[in-house]
Amino acid sequence: MPVVDLDLVKSLYKTPGAIRLRLDVAPRFKVGGAIVTRNINPLGHTRLPRYIRDKKGVVEHDHGVFHLPDARVIGAGDQAQHMYTVRFDAREVWGDEAPANDSLRITLWDDYMKPA
Amino acid sequence: MNSIHDMGGMHGLGPLDQADNEIVFHAPWEGRVMAMARAMMAGKHFNLDEYRYAMERIDPARYLQLSYYEKWLEGTLTMLMEKGVITQEEFDAHLDKLSDAGS
Repeated sequence: MPVVDLDLVKSLYKTPGAIRLRLDVAPRFKVGGAIVTRNINPLGHTRLPRYIRDKKGVVEHDHGVFHLPDARVIGAGDQAQHMYTVRFDAREVWGDEAPANDSLRITLWDDYMKPA
Repeated sequence: MNSIHDMGGMHGLGPLDQADNEIVFHAPWEGRVMAMARAMMAGKHFNLDEYRYAMERIDPARYLQLSYYEKWLEGTLTMLMEKGVITQEEFDAHLDKLSDAGS
């Protein structure tokens, strides 16, 4: 086990984007592309919350390659995927009573989405 | 997992407490819990995703009663025991020692 020393602490706090992976992985979605989120209900960990499952959105930004959180927890090995900011209209998420101009943005991985 | 941590869209939890300039730590122990968690992740004892999942598995009724850093502490203990860094017996023995010292 590595010892936590001052150099390690410095690198933790002073390296921006330290958890982004420098791997050449092809993105499955393009910025501006329409997507629909998957309806998954895993017993393990996921960063796809219930309120955003099976919802239509638009990819707004591609942040690069990151570990898929779901895979790291169940010990399925590391899965490197692109992570995106995706925009959803409030009415798509909360129904017709939500304000027409509101939207929400959430960070999603490749595995959480399929093309709309 | 579909548990109590996934609160988006839930009603009945009261108004949001949006304190301006809220202090980062309400007591010194909160800062220590955060520092320990960061150090143990840097030391590769567990990763951030495993840590979040440890907190998601807190019993739902109990989850609602714990403060933010109490959840961090509980998650840290779960991880340390599941990863074999400490045992439940060692933890219990240390708690006994602390309470003896305090009595």
